[in-house]
Amino acid sequence: MELLNNILYDTVYHSTPIILCVIGGMFAYKANVLNIALEGMMLNGAFVATLVMFFTGSLPLAILLSIVTTLIYGLVFSVMGITYKGNVIVVGLAINLIAPAIAGFVMKMMETANINLTNVNIANFKINIPFVKDIPIIGSILSGHPPITYLAFIGIAAFSVLMYKTKFGIYVRVVGENEDSAKSLGIKTNFYKYAAVLIGAFCCALAGVNLSVERLGLYTNDMTAGRGFIAIAAIYCGQGRPVLSSLYAILFGVARALAVNLSIYAGPAAGLFDIIPYIIMVTVLAVVSIVKYKNVKVRGFKNEL
Amino acid sequence: MNKKGNILRNVINSVLPILLAFVIGGIVIACIGENPLETYWILLKKSFLTSTGFMNTLHYASPLILTGLAIAVTFKANLYNMGVEGQMLLGGFFAGIAGAYITGMNPLVHKLICFAVGILCGMAFALIPALLKAKCKVNEMVVTLMLNYAMAKALEFLSTGVFRDLSSGYVATPTIQESAMFSRFGRSRLTMFFVIAIIVLIIMYIVMKKSKLGYELTAIGKNPEFAEAAGMNVAKKTIILMLISGALSGIAGAGYMMSEQFKYTLSFSGTPGLGWDGMLIALLGGHSPGGILIAAIFYAALKTGSDNINMYTSVPKEIVALIQGLIILFLAVKFISERTNFSFRKKSAKKREGAA
Repeated sequence: MELLNNILYDTVYHSTPIILCVIGGMFAYKANVLNIALEGMMLNGAFVATLVMFFTGSLPLAILLSIVTTLIYGLVFSVMGITYKGNVIVVGLAINLIAPAIAGFVMKMMETANINLTNVNIANFKINIPFVKDIPIIGSILSGHPPITYLAFIGIAAFSVLMYKTKFGIYVRVVGENEDSAKSLGIKTNFYKYAAVLIGAFCCALAGVNLSVERLGLYTNDMTAGRGFIAIAAIYCGQGRPVLSSLYAILFGVARALAVNLSIYAGPAAGLFDIIPYIIMVTVLAVVSIVKYKNVKVRGFKNEL
Repeated sequence: MNKKGNILRNVINSVLPILLAFVIGGIVIACIGENPLETYWILLKKSFLTSTGFMNTLHYASPLILTGLAIAVTFKANLYNMGVEGQMLLGGFFAGIAGAYITGMNPLVHKLICFAVGILCGMAFALIPALLKAKCKVNEMVVTLMLNYAMAKALEFLSTGVFRDLSSGYVATPTIQESAMFSRFGRSRLTMFFVIAIIVLIIMYIVMKKSKLGYELTAIGKNPEFAEAAGMNVAKKTIILMLISGALSGIAGAGYMMSEQFKYTLSFSGTPGLGWDGMLIALLGGHSPGGILIAAIFYAALKTGSDNINMYTSVPKEIVALIQGLIILFLAVKFISERTNFSFRKKSAKKREGAA
């Protein structure tokens, strides 16, 4: 029972940053800009938030600066990739390298290997909902999480509405599907691409704050551990649909929660559990693709996916 | 389009990002109260202007040439194979295992066995995304990225458990036998591995520039639909290219193991890793073998120099990582487009023609 509760709680825990990246990144995906800088942006969000928290101890300021700096990364990405038409994959890679380099540089100047928030008690961030927290299984899913976690799950619904029910969402999708016709209709395509990338940056910053300040109270340079890329994989699997893609993100959360909780029983083989989420994602990607192209009989060139 | 203008354009497009990155890096160095010129001078002096330093630079360039080629051969065909890092780690790891557990061998045969193991492992690892891409049309970039993480974790498990050298104070596999080690030239770290890397580079030059496969590679990269329509089997070529990439990374890993590391540790390929460095080198060298050679040496010089920066100044060597990232960022944008014309004389000649 205890184990089941832990697994469910950890599922929510580990899903959150990926869900945030997914709902942020899917706009760029729909606008046909492949944003692989999610990883670096999330890392920057985590780093700046922890740094500000370390020096000032003010959470609102930490979140604000984290979002602002990550938006700057988003802006750099957009200027290089959209305005100057650079290869977005290369730009994304560069940001993924620059973010940890800056963090490493600053930490070296502070003469520390990781930033540890000793002035913060992470238990204070947790919201325990009265009554709900005492219900056996549902309690561990719904209660005891930090604010951004709730925000992420609300975000799935909010961003579905933004994507499918508003003019903005429709325009973003039009730009992605056929840029030339969008232009001919007088839509400012670059504006929508910028907006899509910046929404991604915003969400990644929140994911970073959640990961570092709210959950662990520390920052290390490899703490995102490929979550940004997993989010990209989830977006691909769900074809950019908010709910479906988020479900894949939760699938990763489940795998990670299982790995964390079952490793207690596994002894020396515990290290192998960390591989499971990655293998699951690859398998899911393969299965989704096979199903999608099952009926296509043409011998294939294929470069868009 | 005249060839001279093309080369000039390529050179400017490669040099300008480097200059910009160094200028920004210099500003950062100046901000922390150090002299950027002095720092860069140490970087340059220690990696190029002393004979030991230069040979060390060549030594560090050897694996980078190979990973750069491994990236270029797939990127040029528009295959975003990010798995070079994982392929290289796997190749290096099992080459190290072969080097440690096979005893009493002729040095030459032993090295060949290690290389063979490395190549096979690299190819096996590249085969997974290749088959998924060719048969199931799965995006190779996402798959290779995922598998990289999985591979790093799996190797961590193997080196902390099954193959751990218990006599060592930290997590490492046993040191390879002396028969598998390359001997060094003089006081520097340079070994025969550099020669091997150069030979592979020449082979790849012939493959990429002179062979049918090289032509197909370029064609697929430019337009896969056209390539398919023109009768090339793109799926099959994808697999072949990925296998070549895997083999090259395998050689890189095995060679790095036998000439530099001698055992697998958790920081075997350093940060950000030889595979990632290879990506920068391939981009910097414009995916051509000649360019890759120059880029790899330049990059290795940064690496050799960065150790010395730490020793002689108070600038953290992370500055080099920052400069590398900036170089990639600026490389993504073509500062001078293909339409920019360098030969003004021709332009006026054309005008005259038009007037006539």
